[in-house]
Amino acid sequence: MKVSLNNIKKYYDEKLVLDIEELEIEKGKITGIIGPNGSGKSTLLNIIAGLDRKYSGTVTYDRQVINKDIYSKMTLVSQKPYLFRRKVYDNIAYPLKIRNMDKTEIKKRISEVISRLEIEELKDKKAHLLSGGESQKVSLARALVFKPELLLLDEPTSNIDPESIKVLEREVVKFNKETGATIIIVTHNLEQSDRICDNIVYLERGRVIS
Amino acid sequence: MDYIWSGIKEAGRLLLSFDKEVYKIIILSLFVSTTSTILSSIVSVPMGIYFGMKEFRGKRLFSRLVYTLMSVPSVIVGLIVAILLSRRGPFGFLNILYTPTAMIIAQTILVTPLIFGLSYSLSKNRGKIIENAGKTLGAGKFDIIILIIRELKVDILVNIVTAFSRAISEVGAVMIVGGNIKGHTRVITTTISMMNSMGDYPMAIALGIVLLIISFGVNSIIYSYQGED
Repeated sequence: MKVSLNNIKKYYDEKLVLDIEELEIEKGKITGIIGPNGSGKSTLLNIIAGLDRKYSGTVTYDRQVINKDIYSKMTLVSQKPYLFRRKVYDNIAYPLKIRNMDKTEIKKRISEVISRLEIEELKDKKAHLLSGGESQKVSLARALVFKPELLLLDEPTSNIDPESIKVLEREVVKFNKETGATIIIVTHNLEQSDRICDNIVYLERGRVIS
Repeated sequence: MDYIWSGIKEAGRLLLSFDKEVYKIIILSLFVSTTSTILSSIVSVPMGIYFGMKEFRGKRLFSRLVYTLMSVPSVIVGLIVAILLSRRGPFGFLNILYTPTAMIIAQTILVTPLIFGLSYSLSKNRGKIIENAGKTLGAGKFDIIILIIRELKVDILVNIVTAFSRAISEVGAVMIVGGNIKGHTRVITTTISMMNSMGDYPMAIALGIVLLIISFGVNSIIYSYQGED
């Protein structure tokens, strides 16, 4: 899914926090958004995710404005994900259940994704009681399981140990290669963006520098 | 001090011997407060959640009004309902003043701002996070409503129980619109109030114990449910 942003202006209490004249996110690529704190990275991601609608300008997804169909094809994994008050398994099953997928397929997909992300031991735990790092892994599993065309990641490895970071990066890249999904990742980690991103967007004070 | 001890002993006897009058009062109290809490919850929980999540102009002022109404005195509610239902009032033709129906109406009005306000505050604080989580996973409007209710069910239940506790323990509204008529509209709180003024402590103590037991029982259920969650 190609994402195009035009003349985006976002204000917080009359302060301009995002000012993007034109930005195109290439379809099927991994794009990293980097920049210092307060540069508007997460705001930009929330706008693309359709969670923040209070801005001027246009965002299109394969030339369409946001609609129900687009919502169902994309997802956002936030830095502090909200996991539902149920078991990890049921959290991961949620996006599949609301898409009316049959039980056999749900089981198959969940077993595949938890094995890939190496979180088998978390399967039966209550999700809202997990640590920050575990929550991020489960949140990524819940996002990958329904194979979105646009995957938005907001510092998905900020609370994770180095070993798990490797696993997550490996799986994000693999997911991109296997499905051709467009991935946008906000990160502070320049090495990480070098390792996994095809393109980099540098934001400073709400503007695209390069 | 003797009269207190003998009052407690007599209260025990009234309860253990299943005294007809005492149990009639207890059952009517439970019926009136449970019905009014359920009726109010059916409307106030979804409305509270809806308004809590909706962004609209004047929401701050609206919040203040809601929170103010949460603490409206029960006698005021009783008075308003009594005026409306009195013979000369606009709903006098219904002829329901001094009946359990009038008591249910008064208590429903009394607990509605409480259930609405607590649900409103709950969804205002946590509803958006849940809505966003659902949205980003492709949930539609209906899926999101179900998701929010499922995620907040324990808190919603606690709010409903809080409202029930207010209903069953209030005396002003049911006294005014019910009239404390023996065998007809007499409930736990109005009986305790009347017995106290008559100096008849055993019945008052017996009903006081029952109120405490009801409160303890309801809270125990909630705590065990919260623990499981």
